[in-house]
Amino acid sequence: MTAIDQPLPTCPACGSPVSASASFCEVCGGPLTPTQAPVASGLPAEPISGQTRRLGSRASQATECASCGGPVGADGYCQLCGTKAPSARDHYRQSPADWVAGVCDRGRAHPRNEDALALWAQDDRAVLVICDGVSTSTDSDVAAQAGAEAARDLLAEHLGRPGVPAAEDVDQALVEAAAVANAAVVANTAEGSANAASATFAVAVVLDGRVHFANLGDSRVYFLGEQGGRLLSVDDSLAQAFIEGGMPREEAEAMPRSHAITKWLGRDATDLVPRVGSFRLDQPGWLVVCSDGLWNYASAPEQLDAQIAAVGSDDPAMVADRLVAWANDQGGRDNITVALARLRAVPADPEQSHSLDSAEAQASTTEQEHAEHG
Amino acid sequence: MAEFTSSVFQNEFLPDGGTDVNAIVTIRCTGAGEAGRTGRGDAGEIVVVDTSGSMGVTNMQAAKQAAMVALDNILDGTFFAVVAGNHKAYLAYPIVQTGAGMVRMDAATRTEAKRAISYFRAEGGTAMGTWLNLCRSLFDSIGNLGNKHVILLTDGENHNETPTQLDQAIRAAVGQFQVDARGIGVDWKVAEIRKIAQALLGSVDIIGDPSRLSAEFAALMRNSMARGVANADLRVWIPQGAQVMFIRQVSPSVEDLTHRGVPVNQLTMSYPTGAWADEERDYHIAVRLAAKTVGQEQLAARVQLAVGAELLTQGLVKAKWSADTNLTAQINPEVAHYTGQAELAQVIQEGLAAKAAGDEATATTKLGRAVQLATETGNAEATAKLRKVVDISDARTGTVRLRKAVDKADEMALDTASTKTTRIRG
Repeated sequence: MTAIDQPLPTCPACGSPVSASASFCEVCGGPLTPTQAPVASGLPAEPISGQTRRLGSRASQATECASCGGPVGADGYCQLCGTKAPSARDHYRQSPADWVAGVCDRGRAHPRNEDALALWAQDDRAVLVICDGVSTSTDSDVAAQAGAEAARDLLAEHLGRPGVPAAEDVDQALVEAAAVANAAVVANTAEGSANAASATFAVAVVLDGRVHFANLGDSRVYFLGEQGGRLLSVDDSLAQAFIEGGMPREEAEAMPRSHAITKWLGRDATDLVPRVGSFRLDQPGWLVVCSDGLWNYASAPEQLDAQIAAVGSDDPAMVADRLVAWANDQGGRDNITVALARLRAVPADPEQSHSLDSAEAQASTTEQEHAEHG
Repeated sequence: MAEFTSSVFQNEFLPDGGTDVNAIVTIRCTGAGEAGRTGRGDAGEIVVVDTSGSMGVTNMQAAKQAAMVALDNILDGTFFAVVAGNHKAYLAYPIVQTGAGMVRMDAATRTEAKRAISYFRAEGGTAMGTWLNLCRSLFDSIGNLGNKHVILLTDGENHNETPTQLDQAIRAAVGQFQVDARGIGVDWKVAEIRKIAQALLGSVDIIGDPSRLSAEFAALMRNSMARGVANADLRVWIPQGAQVMFIRQVSPSVEDLTHRGVPVNQLTMSYPTGAWADEERDYHIAVRLAAKTVGQEQLAARVQLAVGAELLTQGLVKAKWSADTNLTAQINPEVAHYTGQAELAQVIQEGLAAKAAGDEATATTKLGRAVQLATETGNAEATAKLRKVVDISDARTGTVRLRKAVDKADEMALDTASTKTTRIRG
C-alpha cells in the first residue's frame, strides 16, 4: 500500500488538503492529528518494553480503528482511543483456491498470535499446514510462521510437479516437510535463547482423490464427511497418553496439564518423525486442520461438524471466519487457527487401492481405529 | 543536525481491572551542535550580578571575577548583555539608552564589558523581579533569538518587592528565556530562587565558598553554549477518556511538569523542556486508563519530542491486560527507582521546612525516610549531604536524629540538591 492510493487528508477546521504527517494546517494553522510519521524522522526501534523480540514490522494495515472508528496511526494504534489495530500477524486469512481457505487469529486471551498457517492449492491439489507456537518459549510466533511456510513450500513444490506421485512418496514428503519445518524453527531461534522456540505441526495434503496427513503435537486433522466425521490425527499430548491408558477422552482432556505436548518442532525436539496416514475419499466433506484454540471448544468430530453445519455455507473462507469468530465467542483462550478444504468424492479407482493399502500399513494404530469407525 | 531518540522502560502488563500505567521515557539528544549556530536563530546570553549592599567586599569581588569568566566562555557572535541588580536593574553593558540592548560578542565588546563589570559597587537592596523584567526587555530588543539564557547570581532575600511582583515577573518570563540561578552565602531563600529556576527551566545551587564562583559560572556558560537545540517540547498524547496522573522530568533532576502543559489538540499536551545539548533526560509518565478485558492491548501514551511543529522522536507507552500474575506483579526497576527519587526530593524539602518551623518530630521522620530512600536508590550525593544535617543510626530503617549544630550552608546545600537524581540501568 502506498500513500498515493489513499485520499489526501483534509483539515477538519478549514477543509484544506494537508500532509498526513502535519501537526498543523498550513492554511489556517489549526491543530491536526498526524496519521503518519514524518518522513525520515528517525523513529526509534521498538521500545525496550516488550518481553521478547518482535517481528520486524508490527504496524497495522488497518486505517480505521475497529473499536472507535478513529484513524489508525503509523505506529499501529488508534489516534483517538489508543486501541491496538490488529497487525497482519494477529489475524490473517489465506485462500489459495475457492475450495481451500484458512484463518489464523490471536484469539482473546493471548497477547500474541503464535499460531501460523500456510496454504497452497493448484487445480485439485492442496497443501494445508498449521503450526502452533508454544507460548512459553521465546519468539515462537516468528518460528511457527517460518516452520509452516517451509513445510508448505516443500510440499507445494512436490505436488506442483507433473504426474501423479506414488502414495508412499507423498508420505515420505510429509516426513521431509516436518524436517524442513523444524530446520526453519531452529533457524528462527535466537542462538543464546534459554527457552528455545517450539511449535506443533499438522499438515494435510489433497491430491487425486486422496488425503495424506501428518502431525507432531496436538494440532489436529479431521475429515468431516457427509456420512460421518472422524479425527485423523493422533495428539502427541499427555491427554492422549491418558486415553491410551484407558481414560475416557472427555476426562483425559480435562486433566491438568493435558495440553502438555510430547512431540514438537524446535531446537530441543527429540522426535521429529510425524505420525503419517492417508485415505481415499469416498464421500464429499470438509477436510479440517486446526489448532487447539478451535478444538478446545469442539473436540469430537460431531461437535466440529455441527459448528460447520451451522454456518450453512460451502465457502471455506466464510466457514473459517465463522469458526474463528465462534471460538472467540467461547472465550478465545488460545490462538485460533483453522484451515479447510471442501472436498468432492472421486469415484474409486481400483488401480490405486494398492497404494491405499501400503499407506495404511504405515499409518498409525488410530488410523486403523478410524477404519473401524468408518 | 541534532538527532533525538527515545526508549521506554515499563511493565506494560496490567492485571484484570488494572488502570494505572507507569513508564520511564528516556530521550536522548546527539549532534546538538553549539548555541546559535544551528540555523535556528542567534543565541543570547545575559549575566545578572547582584550588586546589593549585602554582597560586601569579598562576595562582590568574587562575583565580578566570575562574571568576567562567564564572558570568556560566551562564543564570539553570540548576543550578550550584563545586568547589575539591586532594588533596581541596571544595564551595565552595552552602554546604551535606547535601541538594541544586546551586542554580539567579540574581542572588543568582551573587553569593554569586563571594564563595565569592574566598576560594580555593592550598594542598595534586592528586587529580582525587576532584574527579570529588564532581561526580558533586552532579549526582546533583539528579537528572533533562538537560545535565550540568563545566569543570575544573588546573595539575599527579595526584600524590595512583594512576592506578587516577583511572581508576575517570573510569569512574564516563562517561555521567553531560561535562568540558571546561584545563591552565594546563606542569607538567600532556597524556595524563592528555586521558584525562579524551576519556572524558567534552569538549575539552582548554593555557592558556599566565593572562590568556587568563577568555576561555576564558567561551567554554566559552557553548558549553555553547548545547547544547539534552542527550544524543544515534550508532547504527550493520551487516549480519549484517559487521564494524566502526573508527568515529571526525573533525570537529571526532578521537575513536576504536570500542570505546565499547553494543549496541542484534544488529546495531546505540550510541555516545555527548554534548550538541549548532547544529553539524556528521563521522564516519568503516569496515565490512568479505563480497564479493558484480559488479552487486550492498547496504547497508554505517545511520548514525543518536538522542535516547533516537527516531531523528532516518539516512544510508545503500552498497556496489555493479562491474567498472568508473574507478568503483572512485576514493577519495572526504572519506574521503582525514579518513584523513590521523586519521593526523596519531596521528603528532604518537607523535612527541612518542618525543621525550620521547629517541628522536630516531623523533621526527624521525613529526613529519616530521606536517608532510607537515598540509601535504597544509591544516591550517594544525597546521603552525604543528609549526613551533615542528621546523625544516622540505621540507614536501612531510616532511623536518624537531628544534629544539634548544623551549618546553615549544609542545610541549604541539601535543599538545593534535593531534586538531583541518580540513574540506573539494569
